[in-house]
Amino acid sequence: MASDPMGSQLRRILSIFFSLSIILPLSSPSPTMHNNNWAVLVCTSRFWFNYRHMANTLSLYRTVKRLGIPDERIILMLADDMACNARNNYPAQVFNNENHQLNLYGDNVEVDYRGYEVTVENFLRVLTGRHEASVPRSKHLLSDEGSHILLYMTGHGGNEFLKFQDTEELQSHDLADAVKQMKEKNRFKELLIMVDTCQAATLFSQLQSPGVVTIGSSMKGENSYSHHLDPDVGVSVVDRFTFYTLAFFERLDMYSNASLNSLFTSYDPTLLMSTAYYRTDLYERPLNMVPVTNFFGSVMKTIPTDSAYPGFLVAHASEYAAISAETETARVVLEDEADHSKTYDQSEKGLQHTLDEWLKLLEGKLGVKDPEVLVAYGLGSMVLLLTISTWLSS
Amino acid sequence: MGLFEKPKSIWSILNSRPITFYTSSFPLEKVGSSFFHGERFTSRPLTGEGAMASHTFLSLLLFYFYTFHLVHPIHCSVGSNAFDTTSAPQEEFSEELLLKPLPDYKVLAHFHFTSTSPPSSSNGQHHHLFPKSIAQLVKKYKIRELELSFTQGRWNYDRWGASDPLSTANGKPPGVELWALFDIPTKEEIDATWRNLTHSLSGLFCASINFLESSTSYSAPLWGFLPNNGDLRYGALPREAVCTENITPWLKLLPCRDKAGIASLLDRPSIYRGHYHSQRLKLRSDGLNGIVIEQTLSVVLQPIDRTSWSMHQLFKKSLMGKCALAKSSKVFLEIERSLVSQNENILELVGEADMVTNDQRDHSTIYQYNVERYSEHEALDIRVNWKKLLQVSFLQTPLHASRFLMGSGNERGSIAISLQSARNSTKGLYDNSKNCFTRVVIFQVVPWYVKVYYHTLRIYVDGAIRDAKDVVEKINVTPSEDKVSPGTLEMMLQFPCGMMSAALTLDFDKGFLHIDEYPPDANQGFDIPSALVSFPDFISRRIYPDSISSPLLQSYKGRNIVKSYTEVLLVPLTTPDFSMPYNVITFTCTVLALYFGSMVNVLRRRVSEEERLAKSKDKRKPGLIPLLISKISNKVRGIKEDSANQSQSSQPILGPKVVFKVVLIALIAVLGHYFFNSS
Repeated sequence: MASDPMGSQLRRILSIFFSLSIILPLSSPSPTMHNNNWAVLVCTSRFWFNYRHMANTLSLYRTVKRLGIPDERIILMLADDMACNARNNYPAQVFNNENHQLNLYGDNVEVDYRGYEVTVENFLRVLTGRHEASVPRSKHLLSDEGSHILLYMTGHGGNEFLKFQDTEELQSHDLADAVKQMKEKNRFKELLIMVDTCQAATLFSQLQSPGVVTIGSSMKGENSYSHHLDPDVGVSVVDRFTFYTLAFFERLDMYSNASLNSLFTSYDPTLLMSTAYYRTDLYERPLNMVPVTNFFGSVMKTIPTDSAYPGFLVAHASEYAAISAETETARVVLEDEADHSKTYDQSEKGLQHTLDEWLKLLEGKLGVKDPEVLVAYGLGSMVLLLTISTWLSS
Repeated sequence: MGLFEKPKSIWSILNSRPITFYTSSFPLEKVGSSFFHGERFTSRPLTGEGAMASHTFLSLLLFYFYTFHLVHPIHCSVGSNAFDTTSAPQEEFSEELLLKPLPDYKVLAHFHFTSTSPPSSSNGQHHHLFPKSIAQLVKKYKIRELELSFTQGRWNYDRWGASDPLSTANGKPPGVELWALFDIPTKEEIDATWRNLTHSLSGLFCASINFLESSTSYSAPLWGFLPNNGDLRYGALPREAVCTENITPWLKLLPCRDKAGIASLLDRPSIYRGHYHSQRLKLRSDGLNGIVIEQTLSVVLQPIDRTSWSMHQLFKKSLMGKCALAKSSKVFLEIERSLVSQNENILELVGEADMVTNDQRDHSTIYQYNVERYSEHEALDIRVNWKKLLQVSFLQTPLHASRFLMGSGNERGSIAISLQSARNSTKGLYDNSKNCFTRVVIFQVVPWYVKVYYHTLRIYVDGAIRDAKDVVEKINVTPSEDKVSPGTLEMMLQFPCGMMSAALTLDFDKGFLHIDEYPPDANQGFDIPSALVSFPDFISRRIYPDSISSPLLQSYKGRNIVKSYTEVLLVPLTTPDFSMPYNVITFTCTVLALYFGSMVNVLRRRVSEEERLAKSKDKRKPGLIPLLISKISNKVRGIKEDSANQSQSSQPILGPKVVFKVVLIALIAVLGHYFFNSS
């Protein structure tokens, strides 16, 4: 009878070990799951002749709203009022095309920072989350370690800086420091910075934080140009880079699987009159595996957890491990679903299924109190794991 | 502070109002489940048939309540919840629209939405129609009264009327104006609360109201704006833009938003195309009546066809029925008596009104239309045709006020307020026939960088200068303090009745700002907020028969003092060349470098030592090694010169060979490159 408690203990340890061996290699690339999306859209230019910058930002605002990011997760900063500007012939309307098909201002726009509030200080405060106590929640970027953040900026810039309101500059060091601070505070999981200014690429030169992917409209020494002028509004209404970004997104809906790579390679330097530059050395995932909706859309699938309090489950560690293994596989499958092609996905699923079956079999066999059988099965599972791992790595 | 986030999504709206009619399933479910929550919990340990029976019983009950809610959605969801006794006061909402033709063929559309919440003790923190965010605001900041207005354009007092209740309430200064009365004892606490309030409102209404936070931008008038005990705070931002993003959160406070009822008329491009646009939120809170909020929006629109307009033409939308949650939903058309001359009607109305009444003193006629009579099949569309164009004007204020700047240059100037007697104002209409003095109260706040010298106040009556003692009845001046507080002037003046014109002037110096304090568009100049000129002896009120029950017309009955806002002043200040700091930095650096360079030179250099060294050098003969070095260097130079000469001379001989070699190597290199690349 003395062997019985020993056996049960061994069984428990083994089952934990097996389930852990399933979890660990799968969960190691991302400790937290991507579970929410945020967008920070900034127009830094004041004055009427910079109408196009506001139109750029509002176009992106409309796009991310259309692709599923709710208004309370969008921080919209507009440096001037163009829609109700006295010079605007179309009050409460902003267009990004001379055909006037689409009123970007819509009926339900919510601007979080506007006018004189759009300063470098406020911008950095939004990113780093260091606000005064009285600042309302709607002006906070309440992201966490599972957030994917889209940061879009447009305005006038130069070598390693972006002008705010024609008076101050955001330097590439400032941006890099803010992003670094965000990373340390676990304010994002992945961050996409998209900048449409002259010499946009130089703004990214100081970034060091992992998980950041950047795209700029032009290289060092290049200008970014406006796309076309609207004779009715009287000024240029959209920039080239944003125009072709929108052209890409107009074809998509929130269920599309287009990858970031297809977006980044869609820019034609002859149409842009500048070279779109993207920096991916800080980003682990291959770009062709990342759907654009990871940044421009919102997480739509919710995964129910078994308990809000993990402490509650410690008493049933083995059950918890088995359950979490299952949910973890489910998660991985979910993530893969978006990333990989269907066939690959299915084979993966099948593999997970057989593994589960094997585990169940193991659980059953563990009831047998013969140590030799146990060892044999253990060895068998080791061999299986080895072959699978070598097959996966090849 | 995190309590007050603006209600951004539909879900937060739904959560704040659990029972809404048009989104029935989700909130009703919520109410039902919360009601039975306790019982369900206790029934859990039961086993077998008992549990089954209790479950079926519960589900039956739930079903009953569901159907009850769905069949009679309005009766039980409007107001308070179904379980309340009927005697308790309930939350109410009413929507009204008043249309008024103006003498210059424009049309004033005045939207008026009223929400009331009974004192909070009756139903705790739960609200059904009343916006939760506002209730939280009132509770948190202990607000007794608050008014926030967003205005674009200026109310034309000359043409659109000045002394009727609608114009007195409608006329607001351009930009944002905020004032609040607090129920807080100490001044410091009030200031702190005000600061937090501005931030909350800024988040709630998507505007930069938080700029009123700094002590340089708000003031605490004692009687010039509204008589109070020092618990009033007043601030204005004349340059704040007003656009769609401000009306979005404002509409979200309404139970039907802009999806149904009168608010559905608010087509953004149409209302922002108007000549005047003022969106307001006014709230009052006391222990007796609970919280009352009035949300009003006044727009002055120009019909495309001057002689004939209809609601549909004005708003480009049709009014198809009322908001189901509204207690009353009415559209009024107010026609001023002066527009309708004695012998003939110059206005023609198309459409039948439900009720026509005149006010007690016969200033105007009100046509009432009940919106519940109309539906999608038959939209309400009031049409007005002008038969004859007539130049008339509405009731004026006793004195027409305007304010302007005098002087030139960037150093000093003066502010002048001119009061012109309105010729057509008939005194007999007002309350003060026995008094031979007209009292005028002037309230103005001036930012600190416009340094007003209040002792330079000069008052002219009918062109002649008058001693201030004769005219000023009461004065309260709070001088500005640099970078701390603005200057506030409250002044009560007494003018003789027969006066035709009066003018006040005040001199000021223009201050200098710190380089960081200039806004990005400093060259445009700086705005001085509107001054308020009120006439405490003149009351604007209109009393309508009690048969009309309308919160809008009820508000006309109040004793509102006639007042008018003056223009915003634009003061050009000296704006520095903002590249100056860089010049200063470079100059300073140069000076510093020169200074430190010479300093180091003076400190480190030892003149006598150097002289001694120089002498000893002269004395000493050149040593062996320097001699050798100089010889070698000479030789090297000589050889170099020789080789150069050689190469120059031998070039023609070696030329073809060298060229051939170079070409060969280049060819090999190209081939190799091509080969490696192609492979």
